Amino acid sequence: MSDAPGDRDVLRALAGLASDAGPVLRLRGDREFLTAIAETARLAFDAAACSIAVLSENERELEFRAAAGAGADATVGLRIPSDRGIAGWAVMSGQAIAIADVSRDPRFAAEVAATTGYVPTAIMAMPLENERRTFGVIEVLDRRRGGGEGMDDLELLACFARLTTLALETARVFSNLGRVLFESAALAADGDDLRHALERLAADAPKPRAELTQLTLLLHELAEAGPDELLAATRVANAVLIYARTRRR
Amino acid sequence: MRPAWSWQFEATTLPPVLVGMPAEITREWAWEGSSGAGVSVAVIDSGIDASHPAVGSVDGGAVIVVDPDAPGGTRAVEGPHEDLFGHGTACAAIIRHAAPDARLFSLRVLGERLTGKGAAFAHAIRWAIEHGVRVVNMSLSTSRADYFGVFHELADAAYFSGTMLVCALNNVRGPTYPSQFASVFSVAAHSGADPFRFDYNPKPPAEFGAPGIDLEVAWLGSKTIRATGNSFAAPHITGVIARILAKHPRLTPFQMKTVLMALADNATRSGAEG
Repeated sequence: MSDAPGDRDVLRALAGLASDAGPVLRLRGDREFLTAIAETARLAFDAAACSIAVLSENERELEFRAAAGAGADATVGLRIPSDRGIAGWAVMSGQAIAIADVSRDPRFAAEVAATTGYVPTAIMAMPLENERRTFGVIEVLDRRRGGGEGMDDLELLACFARLTTLALETARVFSNLGRVLFESAALAADGDDLRHALERLAADAPKPRAELTQLTLLLHELAEAGPDELLAATRVANAVLIYARTRRR
Repeated sequence: MRPAWSWQFEATTLPPVLVGMPAEITREWAWEGSSGAGVSVAVIDSGIDASHPAVGSVDGGAVIVVDPDAPGGTRAVEGPHEDLFGHGTACAAIIRHAAPDARLFSLRVLGERLTGKGAAFAHAIRWAIEHGVRVVNMSLSTSRADYFGVFHELADAAYFSGTMLVCALNNVRGPTYPSQFASVFSVAAHSGADPFRFDYNPKPPAEFGAPGIDLEVAWLGSKTIRATGNSFAAPHITGVIARILAKHPRLTPFQMKTVLMALADNATRSGAEG
């Protein structure tokens, strides 16, 4: 790759275009998808609850994005510090853990009781991660069915963890397509110089513009509403564009 | 003309090597009468609660903090520190049970931001090697591809300096570092409960199996909890290694693997192999 200013401009423009287009391509209903995973895991383990928490941007908190079962309503949206608790340890260490009697960890029991109103006896926690990043953690509370011995249950939970990680990775790709395109290219690059150049481009890639994302999502939704709605939306958009051009003159 | 390094094998420069291995390796030879006395063991984890009755004491250590202004982005703050989660205390107590007189060091790397975790983890391993620690327990791992090289280099450095790295494998299939490297002692849980019973797997990366299912382990607040995870299997092997090293301090990492293999429950000297 050349370092010529022209090339850099083209690559930056490409990153900007990808960033703006990504959110439109993103699967809609990804939150519902996470909830469906949580509910399926809960049923598979015959558990009281299952929840999925995602690391915040600054990595200091875990935010519960989806939950099913006991305390689910109070759990979704809840934020807990990432540097404590069973979930925190799983995320930080990259290791799965199952505790049979969490109420004996006084700090954990108090925290959970104060937030969700449901105090579990047993908990399994598994990090959600791949070779590029750690996304968060999936937890199963008070399972009544499973492989009989703990490790079998953890292997089953690993299947749900992989599924959740794929869903989160996909959502992230489209939320930040500009950055991810160059990160992926950097991973595949042969030479150090090329890889570092691509990593710099990834770091500098613009984030999606919220207003543009909102507009494109609206148009996307209209297009799917039906042919009449699409025609009406196209006419309105054209009329607005003609008016805007007139004003610019 | 001689190729590079060949001078090391001249009769005048090549030192004698004490093999110190018997024809038949038995538990009596390996650790009978040993309490792990004097062997330094580092636990890279969430800290150790030195006041927990199952831990007894901690001889030193450091918190590895992320500091963008420090060389490499991390620095070691030496001195006493608490256990943030409880897990490091659980590992320390398991090691203490197998090697009551070992010298325990806590290297806390968890609790900092995840972004710096790999660098802090690497710093902790380097700290252990530089301080001559003989056994390092790591119930944690990273799947991050960008740390492959860093950990490979450190695993080699540990191997050549005689520092034995004991790593828990994680549950998700796919490579994790440094637990999948051939030079480390990689451990997963088996269903046994006897802390001195372990298995050898001839088809790694899970090279050794040790107790890690439904165990009563030490935790915060001088309490215990019942827990499951490969992360509790690793300190069992760490403790056994410390116990053996106290009696046979000259053993190298590859000799130690031979000893553990010979003492594994599934070791056999006759009959068909599995």
